[in-house]
Amino acid sequence: MGRYLSILILGLSAALSASIIPHAITFVVSLLGNFLPLLEQTRGQLNLVMLFVLCWSLRADLTESLIWALVGGLAIDLLSILPLGTTSVVFILFAFFVNSVVRQLFRVRVLFLVAVTPLATIVLTLYALFALALTGRSYDFFDMLRLVLIPTVVYNSLAVVPVYAVVRLIQRRLEGGLQFAPQSLAPGSGALDQA
Amino acid sequence: MRSLGRRSRLLLLIVMLSLCGVLILLSASGALTAAEGIVAAPLQGLSGLFNRLSLSISDRLEELNDLGQLRERIAELEEQLARRQIESIQLREAASDYERLIDLLSYTSALENQEFLTADVIAVEQTGIARSVIINRGARDGIAEGMPVTTNLGLVGRIIEVSANAAQVQLINDENSAVSSRLQTTRAHGSIIGQASGVLRLTMVDLDEEIGQGDLVITSGLGGNFPADIVVGQVTSVRQFEFELFQEAEVRSLIDFETLEFVLVITSFEPIDLTFFDQMEDN
Repeated sequence: MGRYLSILILGLSAALSASIIPHAITFVVSLLGNFLPLLEQTRGQLNLVMLFVLCWSLRADLTESLIWALVGGLAIDLLSILPLGTTSVVFILFAFFVNSVVRQLFRVRVLFLVAVTPLATIVLTLYALFALALTGRSYDFFDMLRLVLIPTVVYNSLAVVPVYAVVRLIQRRLEGGLQFAPQSLAPGSGALDQA
Repeated sequence: MRSLGRRSRLLLLIVMLSLCGVLILLSASGALTAAEGIVAAPLQGLSGLFNRLSLSISDRLEELNDLGQLRERIAELEEQLARRQIESIQLREAASDYERLIDLLSYTSALENQEFLTADVIAVEQTGIARSVIINRGARDGIAEGMPVTTNLGLVGRIIEVSANAAQVQLINDENSAVSSRLQTTRAHGSIIGQASGVLRLTMVDLDEEIGQGDLVITSGLGGNFPADIVVGQVTSVRQFEFELFQEAEVRSLIDFETLEFVLVITSFEPIDLTFFDQMEDN
């Protein structure tokens, strides 16, 4: 179920990241810009899709995590100038890393998530810069660091805990739905075969 | 699946990465353009819907936020209007003279013959690095790569990617954008380059040329990428050093790129490919 849900959730997240969220950030930055004029030049973005992929990978199995990563990357690439599949590569590596490390080292998963989000944001931004350079579009590295990377790290770090709460809610509903399924419909009961 | 062995996990990773590699190659070669257009259509539709919703909300909020500033601005504009009305009368006189002359010469302006196609902005670039937007018109509507995009306030950018029913527009404030321009007053040539901060910079202007604050910058048509005489922006400050070969100026576009809703694509303009001359020089 989680695999199919990825299309809906990540598609919605990508659409939000390309429409409402940039406008909301612009509005907040223009308000704060009255006190901190430097902020007005920044153009960081909240990457909702990346946050959903990271949060989902914490508790899902590897196959499901990788499917979320693939779908999430495709959703981003469909609304960007990068070739299809570019972002999926880095998301798949994130999902694999989170899925592998979290089972071995960390008990308090949300803390791990808070620590890994800035790191993932840095890697994703540098990777996007590299991918854009390969397509013939070069950008000033230090300007991007100052104007894009730092604000994006801040936005993603602030949003990761609420996103995790939403993901946990969805995952619990899914687990609950399976746990409390009527015995007659449980796999192997024969009811599904008869149907 | 939770009990996947280490080898199986690595194998799964390699399979997924290989799949992405194939997708990237196909997409970069243009083989997936049609499929991408079909898959992206619902996403772009949803994004367009959200975009309109958020723009209407942010417009309302900004109105409330800017009330004090707006009052000052109204007073300033009223003063400007009074001055412009006098200029307008003089210009109307000049225009009637001009019309009489073009009738005599049977000359038709390039701008008058241009065909426009209106498009909605439905999404902004996801990476945050490049400055581009997606519009809801594509190859089916006759949009092609290289077509200039404007609004009634001036130049927006140009089409860089086209799918069946959407197109990506590179904005003029993107760092990789360069527009051949000239000053409306002195006709001095230069190039408008996008900056990381979003400000436009007029570069490559000869030191002998005079640039004044408030001067209007328009496209020059040189290079064949944009038609001539489209408004790009207004000079806000000038930077001139004796030890440099050229002078520079900061230019403010009249367009707010963050809240673009509608754009006009000039469909009748075909960019001119000048690489042919470079090849001739090489030979």
